[in-house]
Amino acid sequence: MSLCGAMMKSSVEVNLLLLLVFTLCVKAMRYSPPEKPVLTRCRSPEKETFTCWWEPGSDGGLPTTYALFYRKENSETVYECPDYHTAGENSCFFNKNDTSIWVNYNITVVATNALGSTFSDPVDIDVVYIVKPNHPEKVTVTVMEDKGWPFLRVSWEPPHQADTRSGWITLIYELRVKLEGENEWEMHLAGQQKMFNIFSLRSGGTYLVQVRCKPDHGFWSEWSTTSYIKVPDYFHREKPMWVLITCFCAFIFLILTWLLHMNSQSLKHCILPPVPGPKIKGFDKQLLKNGKCDEIFSALVVPSFPPTAPPNCEDLLVEYLEVYVPEEQELIMEESKDLNDLCLKSGGCTSDNDSGRGSCDSHTLLMDKFREAKEKRKPREQGSGQAGTESQGNQRDWEEEGSSCAHEDMVSPSISSGRVKTWPCVFSPLPQYSSGRLEHKGSLERAKQHCHSDTLFPLGSTSSSLDQQGQHTKETLRPSNWEFGLSNKQPHLLHPHTRPQRQLQAHSDVNISSIGHKRELRGLHSPAPESTEYVEVQRVNEENMVLLQPVDSERGHMEDCSQVPLGEDYSRVNGVDRDNRLLLQREVTQGDRCFCGDRDMNGERTENCYSLSTATMTQKPRVCIHTAMPVQDNMVLGVTGYVDTSTASTLPSY
Amino acid sequence: MSSNTRSVSVEVVCVLLCSTLSGVCLAPLCMNSHSSCHVVSLSDLFDRVIQHSSRMHGVSNDLHAEFEQHFLPSKNQISRVSRNCHTSTIFTPNGKENTQRMAGQELTEVILKLLLAWRDPLWHIHQGMAHHHDFNNFSSNKVLEMSDMVHELRKGVEKVAEKMQMSGIISNSVSSRASPEAPPLADSPEWRLMKVYDLLYCFRRDSNKVQNYLKILKCRIVPEHGC
Repeated sequence: MSLCGAMMKSSVEVNLLLLLVFTLCVKAMRYSPPEKPVLTRCRSPEKETFTCWWEPGSDGGLPTTYALFYRKENSETVYECPDYHTAGENSCFFNKNDTSIWVNYNITVVATNALGSTFSDPVDIDVVYIVKPNHPEKVTVTVMEDKGWPFLRVSWEPPHQADTRSGWITLIYELRVKLEGENEWEMHLAGQQKMFNIFSLRSGGTYLVQVRCKPDHGFWSEWSTTSYIKVPDYFHREKPMWVLITCFCAFIFLILTWLLHMNSQSLKHCILPPVPGPKIKGFDKQLLKNGKCDEIFSALVVPSFPPTAPPNCEDLLVEYLEVYVPEEQELIMEESKDLNDLCLKSGGCTSDNDSGRGSCDSHTLLMDKFREAKEKRKPREQGSGQAGTESQGNQRDWEEEGSSCAHEDMVSPSISSGRVKTWPCVFSPLPQYSSGRLEHKGSLERAKQHCHSDTLFPLGSTSSSLDQQGQHTKETLRPSNWEFGLSNKQPHLLHPHTRPQRQLQAHSDVNISSIGHKRELRGLHSPAPESTEYVEVQRVNEENMVLLQPVDSERGHMEDCSQVPLGEDYSRVNGVDRDNRLLLQREVTQGDRCFCGDRDMNGERTENCYSLSTATMTQKPRVCIHTAMPVQDNMVLGVTGYVDTSTASTLPSY
Repeated sequence: MSSNTRSVSVEVVCVLLCSTLSGVCLAPLCMNSHSSCHVVSLSDLFDRVIQHSSRMHGVSNDLHAEFEQHFLPSKNQISRVSRNCHTSTIFTPNGKENTQRMAGQELTEVILKLLLAWRDPLWHIHQGMAHHHDFNNFSSNKVLEMSDMVHELRKGVEKVAEKMQMSGIISNSVSSRASPEAPPLADSPEWRLMKVYDLLYCFRRDSNKVQNYLKILKCRIVPEHGC
């Protein structure tokens, strides 16, 4: 118990002691010698004076005084700062008398308080290297113009303390410019000059200008106070140039537009060449678009094209009856040729004349024949003239030759036995001719009635004259009329006998007298007027015989030709002689249709039925004489391919 | 006969050449009386000299800073209170008033003395730095360059002085015969290093002095440009 009490007493005492010590210590810590000050900087504005500033430390709770001491180079004398107040607090100002250039100063600041003093670290300075001048003064900025373009002229003065005039200090300057509102300054080093020009200004802008300076070895001064300057608007000076440029560009643009417009077509072709369309006849683009191939190709198929069989000249010519074409008819043939072509190619030609002359230039062949016929006729015309049968024969020849070009009416397509290729439609009027038949007296007259009086006898005197016998004059006239009719009325028709007829006409008067009775027909055979009869080619029989049918003129319908008037007719082609001349056979038929004819384009010698026909004339046979008789030499065939009546007359009568 | 003429022609050519060459050689300096010769004005001379001195100071400044950075990282490693430049014996004005108070001639003499005082020490520094491997070549070259510049600057200042004397600015001729000489470098490397450092420091200061004195002179004598 007592121990505890003793212990408690001792602890309390210890605590008290501790407390006492603690308080003493605390008291002692409140005051302390000043902390070591720090010389922050020393600066000289003009290299004649300088100032040093220090930073004091904690004063230790006690009032502290600061003192600056310095020592000069190579001297042990310690001097104290002469001026603590000029430069402000914690500063020391050295005036001119105390400042020595090119002398090393050792400066120290001492802080002193009640408890002690503290020395700062010494600092060695040389005034030459601590020069920091003041900023330039009297900065002026003016706007000046150089050939219409403005620029800024900045001028300034060096700080008044710095003695640059004596050369003691040399300053270099620097200025900076910026537009109002911008962040970046534009720096310009001006050197030792006190004036500077700034170009490339923005019209109407406000500029800020500042200048600073620095000695050749030292620190930069502070920036001078900002000078504001507003650049006047000079856009109006630039306007004419822009106006010129705009006009020039517009002009160029207009020219280009005009050029483009002029060459738009060619450009279009150049840039977008036209897509060539299909050039196949019968090709339907629409079908192609529809996408039906079958229809497309079916449309391309032409029935008659291509020709299944190559056109063979011989085949074509075999089916034709060559007809002498007078020169006047050449033109018609020319036209008909075109029609033929059209009919042939289209295939849909409604013309029933499937008479394509084809590739064979049967036209030329016709021409050749015509020439030959002409040649033949001429001698015949010059002959003594036995107009009669000869003429009739001639005429028959003519007829037959002329009728070779049977038109569609005469040769109906229904005749299927043979391929009668007739001449084209041009010769359609021909049946009128062909139907017309030269009628001799008596039978002739009747035969003549077959002739189309309408066309052949415009004078309308045919029929009357036909009926009359012995009216040779009329008969004679007939051919002449016919001739005229033929020549005038239907000039476009195949009129192979125009010329020979005319030629014969000359002799018609001569032979008129000879023409009389049937028997006197011989006389008629002289080159007297030879009536022309055109016989239609009815068909070609199996034996390749062209069956001619006399045309019934009265009926005007040549289709049947069933009634054959009594009388002689030269509706049969006996054959074709060597010179490609049709040899007509005279026969007298009655009511019968007689077809006879040989056709041989090769000019094979055939008999001349004429003589037989003359024989039959008296007998009035009704049988076609098919037998061929040898050609007698004296059967001179006229140039025109007609049997020369004169020679025929020499034949012995049967 | 032809050989004689040839020799004569050759001689003539040689004489001509020699005369032209001699003419060039015999006219090193232009006299004022000669109008054809281009005369360098005093102002131009001063400008040239001042530029030269400025360049010299710049080199010395760079060299000192480089030396201090490489060899003496701690600035206050060695107390420099007892630094004593060998040129301190030369009385140099240490203020603007003092400088302006000094006559042109004296000032010129001071300049010349300074320049002369530094001719040999720089050469020694160069030699010392070259032979010892503790100095890099870059510093050695700069020391040599400085040495040359000092020599040329001295020549230039002499020319200026001569010009001034001719112009009547300076009465008496400038003489710079007496010039303190730098003490030789110590043998020990540390001393050598310190010596070089001190020399560099001293030279840096002296080059600044020269430049400043020249500027004062120029603005006093030919104050047309840049003053």
